[in-house]
Formats: sequence, structure tokens, C-alpha cells
Amino acid sequence: MTENDRLLLNAYIDGELDPAHMLEFEQRLAGDGPLADERARIEALRGAMRERLPRATASPELRRRVAALARPRPFAIDWGARRGLGAKWGAMAASIAVAFAVGSAATYLAIRGDRGEPDLLVSSHMRALMASQPVEVASSDRHTVKPWFNGKLPQSPRVIDLAAQGFPLAGGRIDVISLTPAPTLVYRARQHVISLTALPVSLRARGPIRPIDGYNVVEWTDGSLAYWAVSDLAAPELENFAKAFRAGDAEP
Amino acid sequence: MDRGDSKARFANVVIPHLDDAYSVARWVTGNRADAEDVVQEACLRAFRGIGGFTGGNGRAWVLTIVRNAAYDWLRKNRPPAVVHVDDLEAVERMRSADDAAPAPDNPEAALIARADEVKLEAAIASLPAIFRETLVLRDVQGLDYREIATITDVPIGTVMSRLARARRRVIEMLGAHR
Repeated sequence: MTENDRLLLNAYIDGELDPAHMLEFEQRLAGDGPLADERARIEALRGAMRERLPRATASPELRRRVAALARPRPFAIDWGARRGLGAKWGAMAASIAVAFAVGSAATYLAIRGDRGEPDLLVSSHMRALMASQPVEVASSDRHTVKPWFNGKLPQSPRVIDLAAQGFPLAGGRIDVISLTPAPTLVYRARQHVISLTALPVSLRARGPIRPIDGYNVVEWTDGSLAYWAVSDLAAPELENFAKAFRAGDAEP
Repeated sequence: MDRGDSKARFANVVIPHLDDAYSVARWVTGNRADAEDVVQEACLRAFRGIGGFTGGNGRAWVLTIVRNAAYDWLRKNRPPAVVHVDDLEAVERMRSADDAAPAPDNPEAALIARADEVKLEAAIASLPAIFRETLVLRDVQGLDYREIATITDVPIGTVMSRLARARRRVIEMLGAHR
């Protein structure tokens, strides 16, 4: 196997070849034993890494420290003090700062309230991503997620299993949008998170929705509810998600 | 840009990628505590530099900063770990020197598929930093070649050859340590 074959093989496995080279390489693979064996080894390695190496996640403590940087109101925190006074003092200072941040962030959202639902939905989505997990009920089983809403909201949303379409359910939470508590389903698409919020139709989109700070927003209605999907997924993929959800909705 | 804008942009651009940032830092430094220091330093840099972010791929922008902070940390704390970036021959020599057991070049795919977490981590951890980061950005973080090229500041061809070598070497190591 030449060095060049090896590069092509890796690029083929990663889906980085253009369609013409892809086909050509596929034909070569079919007739080349050693190349096909190497492909099996690389795929096995990729599979093992995907399964056995869980993606590391930032600890809540680190998350708090970094979030403290982004509080809307300056609140002096001496980063050097962490080392100077020892980690314990740093941690304490950070958690005190967080207590203040929670209060001021709430004010901040209320002031921004006149910017419309898309902003509020993206804010909720971002807020959820910053939390230690983006759901309050974590389950891929719709029969667990749906009843969880029952006790908390007058009506629970339709919960649809889209794992087969590449959007496994991750759970749900309740967002408050324009003073309306709203059920939000959380789906995953590879490593991306999709928040799908159901709102009364009175809160449906009032015009075209542009991406907000890198998040795409898609809205549709089934007549009784307005559904809003927010994610950093590419726009066409988020549209596919919306399509899949609508198609699932039509089933009995 | 006033301070309030910076904070809002930081919250929008950087914080959503904190897990990715931490994961990359952990793989480069090799442990949690150092990874947290690296992420914290990188976030400070990102916060100061947020005005220079012109939009586009926020994750790649953040990971570039994290990666640079992690390398600064390595240079300071683990100087031998930083192999000269394009000296592939040196890496190959290092490899023949540190492989005590003869490795079967072509282990069965099934053997690799069964490799447990500890072996896998050890094999990846033993790669020289530039190979390790390329493999991790691709197969743990799921970035495409173009993003990896941006983050590691090399042409796509270099990403391809590093990735091919990294995978080959891990495969050989998993075959060797039965």
C-alpha cells in the first residue's frame, strides 16, 4: 500500500473525497484485499473510540468560573487570586459571584423582553447549554418524557421518537417565553443539541426568522401549537429535523 | 466594542463550546486539573480577543485559542512533549526506539474493535502531541479536515498525513499489547 493510498483511504473513510474520487476509490477497494483490510482496521478503531471514549465535559465548577466572565454587569473578580489565595478561596469567590450573576441575568432577560420570541428562544437554548445539562428530565424514552410534563403544564406536547431519523431524544425541560411556561423537547443530532419548544399559536413567527448569534431557528405550526426549533445545526439539517418531526406528527 | 457587548458576545460565542474546549485541553495536557487551567486561560484570551472574532465558525475560533493555550502550557510544563511540528522522521525514529515488543503491523480488525478504554486511551496518549490532537479533533470531537486545518494552522494535506499516521500507529499499538 503506498503512502498516497493510505491518505486516500483515510479521506474516503472520513467522507472527505469528492463524489467522483469517492466512486473511483470504492471500486478500487472492492478489488484490493490489503486495502479493504486496512479499511476494516481503521473503521474498527473509529468505532472503538466513539464507543469507549466518552467526550469529556467541563465540570460545573469550571463552567461557573468561565460563565462569571460573561456576566452582563461587571463584578470584579481577581483571577490571579485563585493561585495567590489557594484554590478554595478562588472557588468560593466564584460561587459568590455566580449567586450575583443569576440575579442580574434574570433582570437582563426581562429588559430584553421586547425583542421577540426568536431572541427569547435562542436565549433559553443558550442558557440550557450553559447549564450542567440542557434537560430537566433526561430520557430517550418518550413514554418517560411526556408524562413528566403532565404534572407541570396544562397540556403536554406531542413527543415523537426520531432516533431512526438521526435525532435521538435527549429529554425535556420547561422554558418560560414571554411569560408563558412552554414545554421544550431536547433532541440530539450528532454532537449538536436541538431545543424544540411548543408555544401557543398566538406566539408564532411574525415574519422571516434570521439566524441569531450563530443559531438557526425554524418555526412551524400544526394549527393548535407553534413549534420553534433552535440549534447550531446547519440550516438545511435543522429543516430536515423539522420535516421529520412534522412527518412523525401525522402518525396516529 | 464596549464591555457589555464583549460579555454578550463571549457568552454567545465561547460558552456553548466549553465542553469541546475542555475535551481538547484534556487530551493535549493529559489530565483534568491542567486542562481546567488551560481552558480558563484560553477563555481569558478569548474574552480579551472577542472583538477580533469576525463571525463564522465559533467553535473553530474557540478551539484555536484553546489549542494555542494548551501548547503554551506544554512548552512551559512538558518541553519534551512538544515535537517539532513537521519533523515526521524524528517521530518515526522515536517510534522504533520506544516499541519494545514487536508489533504485528496488521492486527485483525476484531482485535482493535475489542480494545478496552484503558488501552485505547494509553495508545492515544502515547502519540506525539501533534498527531494526538489531529486524531482527537477528528475522531473524538468530530471536526472535518478543513476545521482541523484551521485550528492547527497547517494545510489540509498535513492534516491528512498526520491523521493517517496517527491511526496507523494506534492500530499497531493495539495489535502489540495483547
